[in-house]
Amino acid sequence: MRTLIWAATLVAFLVPVASIAGDTPAAPDAKVSIIWPYDGSTIRGGKFWLRFGLKNMGLAPAGVEKPFTGHHHLIINGELPPFDEEIPADETHVHYGKGYSEARVVLPRGRHTLQLLFADHNHIPHDPPLFSKKITVLVP
Amino acid sequence: MTVLRTLIMLALVSGPAAVMAEGSPAPKDSYLYIGWPIEGSVVSAKSFRVWFGLRNMGIAPAGVDKPMTGHHHLIIDAPLPPMDEEIPADKNHVHFGKGQTETVLKLPRGRHTLQLLLADHDHIPHDPPVVSRKVTFTVR
Repeated sequence: MRTLIWAATLVAFLVPVASIAGDTPAAPDAKVSIIWPYDGSTIRGGKFWLRFGLKNMGLAPAGVEKPFTGHHHLIINGELPPFDEEIPADETHVHYGKGYSEARVVLPRGRHTLQLLFADHNHIPHDPPLFSKKITVLVP
Repeated sequence: MTVLRTLIMLALVSGPAAVMAEGSPAPKDSYLYIGWPIEGSVVSAKSFRVWFGLRNMGIAPAGVDKPMTGHHHLIIDAPLPPMDEEIPADKNHVHFGKGQTETVLKLPRGRHTLQLLLADHDHIPHDPPVVSRKVTFTVR
């Protein structure tokens, strides 16, 4: 059992390294986070402003190539996509290519996961990739 | 009649000069605010995080001319500067031209005020100006 846990931990650490990242460098100490909502929040009505946190880098609209900038992508009820490709644009992967630092989100009843993934002017994650913790919210 | 027409023409031409802001247009529903610190809060003299809230507009680095975007300027312990000029860059007017959406400040102990002012690619406030409420807080 202990071996299994060790193996799982090892895999968890290795997976992000094994994925190839994009070519655009991330700033040292850069960090992406979800400022609001907090992990485990209950959101009555399911409508809220999701605030994107970004430390030590800047925002730029999609298509604008400036060092140490990018734009946010929100992954709703999904897993992180491959880091060496353009982030897909669908209802699970919402792009904020206008340089938004927060967005109105409307979710139906139920339990949902939210995660931010930052990407460069070509929608490809940085090297190393910058993503937030995956949080869970409940819409009663 | 010709005189009247000339007067009207003159009024039309000189009209925009009478408007305070000459910057890029901002949407009517844009909303700028300081997410932290909030009014009346107490923060550490070591350092504190300031995060910038902006709804219905995007962030672009200085020099990038994209409609409905701008970059943040933090006004520390000072009144608003003129709305029809470039925002000064000094210790009371801090520019975030790299497209940052948050920062870490260190201020001496005591009462301080912070206010955000968004400005366009040329550092000129938008029309209408996009400005936050002024927040008063204590550094202890």
